[in-house]
Amino acid sequence: MPIRPLRAARRALESMARGPYVALVGAATVFVAVFATGLFAGALGGAERLLAAWAGGVRISVYLAPGADLERARAAAAALAPGRRTEAVPAEVALSRLAESLGEEAHVLEGVGPGALPDAVEVDGAGISLEGARELAARLRAVPGADDVDYGTAWLESLERFVARARAAGVALFGALALATAILVSNTLRLAVFARREEIEIMKLVGATDAFVAAPFLLEGLLQGLLGAGAAVLALLGVHGLVLPRLAAAVAAAGGLTLADTLPPALLLSLLGGGAAIGLFASALAVARALRRT
Amino acid sequence: MIQLFHVTKEYPGDGPALQDVSLTIGKGEFVFLTGASGAGKSTLLKLVFCDEAATAGQLLLFGKNVAKISGAAIPFLRRNIGVVFQDFKLLANRTVAENVALPLEVRGLALKEIRRRVRGLLRSVGLEHRAGKFPPSLSGGEQQRVAVARALAPDPALLLADEPTGNLDPERTLEVMELLHGANARGTTVVVATHDRSLLERYKRRVVVLEAGRLLSDGDSVRRAVS
Repeated sequence: MPIRPLRAARRALESMARGPYVALVGAATVFVAVFATGLFAGALGGAERLLAAWAGGVRISVYLAPGADLERARAAAAALAPGRRTEAVPAEVALSRLAESLGEEAHVLEGVGPGALPDAVEVDGAGISLEGARELAARLRAVPGADDVDYGTAWLESLERFVARARAAGVALFGALALATAILVSNTLRLAVFARREEIEIMKLVGATDAFVAAPFLLEGLLQGLLGAGAAVLALLGVHGLVLPRLAAAVAAAGGLTLADTLPPALLLSLLGGGAAIGLFASALAVARALRRT
Repeated sequence: MIQLFHVTKEYPGDGPALQDVSLTIGKGEFVFLTGASGAGKSTLLKLVFCDEAATAGQLLLFGKNVAKISGAAIPFLRRNIGVVFQDFKLLANRTVAENVALPLEVRGLALKEIRRRVRGLLRSVGLEHRAGKFPPSLSGGEQQRVAVARALAPDPALLLADEPTGNLDPERTLEVMELLHGANARGTTVVVATHDRSLLERYKRRVVVLEAGRLLSDGDSVRRAVS
């Protein structure tokens, strides 16, 4: 006997209409899991985007040993960093820039001569990633007369490590949440299945196969998962709309964040798919137990 | 159609519900299964529609050994059997028409065909006007007739009826028995479990008598059967 999907869907919808409380509890449980996961993933995506923006603004400085040929070093740096703007910065220029950056506090440099700072070659890192900056810095160590290479991103590296750990924690969190949700939804659906055990028994007595009995329950779980995940996606979009302007006001770089950075379509589709899969898995668990007992 | 060879059914912690019963029911027969309460009538019917398995002996249904039929094949076997349960087994949250339609839905019939058949069946049991009602709002007799209509819906090769007239007045009893005879006349093998002696006397059919789980007699009429 073929299973007629439309009839199974109709039976699933009728059953959800007859027991809306169970359907709502199931959908709400999926909502919580998907929303929490999406919020975490969105925050992580935003942090990674900010990290890239900050890394892209770095300048890599090659400090030269005393007596090194500045122009030769600049030419070597330009060769090692093709396509990037390089600038030879003599010690006097570096000192005056430092004084300028100190503003009113520039008086602390009184008595400091140009000999206190080394000549340097600065390489513009526009658009570079943190990893790219690290690799370029390693290459620039080969500049003739180079004493030290600094790209001033120690704090960015710490942030990068934190984000990497958070990403790993996010995967673990999603796994735990998905399992907990599947168990919760499964238990909720078990109640629904238990309430309809007589119906299942009678259907089997009149010749229904397990697949025929299970199909509406599975669809019900799938619909609950989709409903919960759909609501969570809408809530996440709402949170994005509310939080981003406030974040941009507090952190300048956040102004460039877009929906594609925090909640890209692939993530939203994964959340919908994940929610639906949790609902389906949970209902499969619940109905398999019921079928074993009838 | 149905062959039992030395069939025994025991329940844990209880005496045998059926003991060494051998019986053959041929295609197209109409058989009354009778005996006092606890004689084993319902147990025998449960074995036949594969709701339970025999503890010992062999049961052949449509020529197949039931013990060797896989679990997945049982639903397909049951589609050849209509059952009127003693407790009706109607779905309280489905209408009368939906209850009658259930075995047809299970078989994947087209909705139009289901509606046509359900209308005809409800007309034949005098419940056409109750099609949209839910079973709890019906009398016991009406529920009984819905159960008969559902069992007859798929036009089964075998019809098992467990006390199908138990809740009916004499007039409705006649109507239900006419339905069962009508099905039999169309070629359906009918097995009716009853302890209603008047039915056995009115309809001169084969009577199988059970007593305390044993086959007491198997005869052409009640007089011979109970003598």
